[in-house]
Amino acid sequence: MLHFPLQLRNCRFLSFAFLVGILLSFSGAAHAIPAFARMYGTSCSTCHLDFPKLNDFGKAFKDAGFKFPKNDESMLKIPPVMLGAPANKELWPNAIWPGTIPGIPPIGLRYTNYLQYTGSSSSKFAALTPPGNLPPFIPTTDFETGVFTLLSAGNFGGDVAFWINNDLSVAGNNSGGGLGDAYLKFVNIGRLLKLPQYALNLRVGQFELEIPFTQARSIWTSPYDIYIQSNIGAMNPLFSQQFVNNNYVLAETGKGIELSGGRHTGGYNYSIAFIDQRTGGHTGFSPYVPTALGSNNGGLGVQSDADFKDIYASFNYRFNLERDKESRNAIQAAGSTGPRDHTYLNLGTYYLYGRTEQRLLGAGADGTASVLTAREPFYRVGGNVTFNYRCCLQFNALYMFGHDLNLLPVDAAGALIPLNQLGQITPAGFVRGRSATFSGGFADVEWLAYPWMMVLMRYDGVNSNADRVNALISNPPFTGAPFNAGAGSTRNRFTPGVQFLIHPNIKATFEYQFRPAQSVMVATNPFTGLPVALNPFHTNTAVLGFDFAY
Amino acid sequence: MRNKSALTMVFISIMTAASFAGTLQGKVSTGNSVVYVDTISGKIFPASTKTIVVSQRGLQFVPHIVVVQEGTTVDFRNDDSVQHNVFWPSVGGNRKDAHNMGSWPQGDKRSYKFDHPGVVPLLCNVHSEMSGYIIVTPTPYFAETDAAGNFRIDNVPDGKYTVVAWHEGSKPEKKPVEVTGTAKVDFALAQ
Repeated sequence: MLHFPLQLRNCRFLSFAFLVGILLSFSGAAHAIPAFARMYGTSCSTCHLDFPKLNDFGKAFKDAGFKFPKNDESMLKIPPVMLGAPANKELWPNAIWPGTIPGIPPIGLRYTNYLQYTGSSSSKFAALTPPGNLPPFIPTTDFETGVFTLLSAGNFGGDVAFWINNDLSVAGNNSGGGLGDAYLKFVNIGRLLKLPQYALNLRVGQFELEIPFTQARSIWTSPYDIYIQSNIGAMNPLFSQQFVNNNYVLAETGKGIELSGGRHTGGYNYSIAFIDQRTGGHTGFSPYVPTALGSNNGGLGVQSDADFKDIYASFNYRFNLERDKESRNAIQAAGSTGPRDHTYLNLGTYYLYGRTEQRLLGAGADGTASVLTAREPFYRVGGNVTFNYRCCLQFNALYMFGHDLNLLPVDAAGALIPLNQLGQITPAGFVRGRSATFSGGFADVEWLAYPWMMVLMRYDGVNSNADRVNALISNPPFTGAPFNAGAGSTRNRFTPGVQFLIHPNIKATFEYQFRPAQSVMVATNPFTGLPVALNPFHTNTAVLGFDFAY
Repeated sequence: MRNKSALTMVFISIMTAASFAGTLQGKVSTGNSVVYVDTISGKIFPASTKTIVVSQRGLQFVPHIVVVQEGTTVDFRNDDSVQHNVFWPSVGGNRKDAHNMGSWPQGDKRSYKFDHPGVVPLLCNVHSEMSGYIIVTPTPYFAETDAAGNFRIDNVPDGKYTVVAWHEGSKPEKKPVEVTGTAKVDFALAQ
């Protein structure tokens, strides 16, 4: 009796896949680490299901510090360069502790590009443009050159891993690019304290927090809406105002240190990180502070908003549900037709505590000029769940609640200052107002129908009253207009998608972002006389893309 | 005295048989190829009792190419610290003979008896870059060439045969050969 391997079943649909590939052949790109493929002489599919999504072995590879959990040396096809004989360990501290560097520069490259189709509803926003101003033009179809990224990662021997990825070009030019993750990870340092293996790791540098579902290495083309949700307080004087200007979003990288432990293939894993506050709550770094490079004439290298460090913690527990104990504890389960990912249930929770700072020129009680600082603590808390059925079917869900303390400026008499008059009335202090909050999350289904085809469906929901209020246009140039704005308004959407692996390193993607239709109603703000958009329209979009890595 | 007679008979038999057995030799244009005598009508050869081991080691099938006679049992052994799988999509192009061996942990093995002649492309559905080949021959007359492509098959009975040359990635080639003592045949395999 033949149990068809998945690859065989693929053959039946090869021609179909080819046709789809041709149809989608506008695009390109991948997010795997080709450097590893070169070092080990193995395919991307060793670690990835639908890159950059990791399979269980890929998770174990990452947990081990970007190396095979066992007998890594025997798997390397390109031997590393020894930085000292291993016997030097016996001479330490009289000799340099030996290590290795990869035998070839572990560099991979990735490129993405897209074609976006936008619904015709975009024209409705032209009605919001007051006389004398050019209405916005939003093309129905638009080719988008995506991101060109350099990836480098590996292991320096022993338990020291490294990772650097840098977006060299974004949107077809050099603008907007920058460093993604860049860190050293000291794996298994808990052994120094006689802790169990993998109980304690240390990561230093810039990195995406150990959020439940990675945004930087997500298979989705569009970001999780809740991950890019900032908390900009309601500024419209018609509503309860919020002096909150917190640009922090959970998806952004943090600079700092992280203690972590456990495994992502079964049992617990945790992360505790301390990162620079990066709220964007105020600007204006001193040009006179010494830099990290020793210069004394300009703020290079000092980019923190304040001394405060945000704290992030997460904890997950994964229950592998295989009946056979040996298989349950293995990195991958032993299936009848080959190793596969486990059937598992993962439950997790996460919490981030941070603080924003806003500084105002104000006056003390005696009338002397002073700098007033509003320090507004905030937190993001939530939970996540994943149920994975073998190789091919996964349900994910995440919930988040965001809360920011809201300090409202008051004048010398203790009266609230309308925020749109903040430049006209000198603040003397702050009083605590109603907190600025939001909530939301997402739920998705990822079905690996074939090893080369992933079918996706996701629902995103974000509920932020402040966003809703801010979407009301208050003045030109209508930056509050909610058209496709990343954090412009309370929003929800269904996003079905499908992805095809044309090769292990080439992927075609398609997403249709379906936003419930809402009408645009234009009214006049009775206080300001300016147009107001009510129930802003959320436009549907379709995105074709190609991903490739090499 | 009786023993002496028996030894004499054995000696005569061997010499007689040897006088009808020849050698087939030649050269294949690409090294590391396989040459074997194809099915001989009316001839059935006893199955080999040998057990051949194919190891999965360092994310590779070792050896990469194995030649066995029809009926031989092959042990597939996982010598890696990672899980592997062994499957083949066909035997000699016949998809009905496809088979999936499943997976097993390090140090364990699974066996399979190959009862149908043909080329068996070995794959691992975890590590798609891994490949190996088992060439199942219908006769016990086969050889692997050296790196230069030279081969030699001994003890081939005199007669007319079809000889097949196979090389990974090349189109197999068949040639008729008549063996009388020593025969020579060369192959130029095309990609």
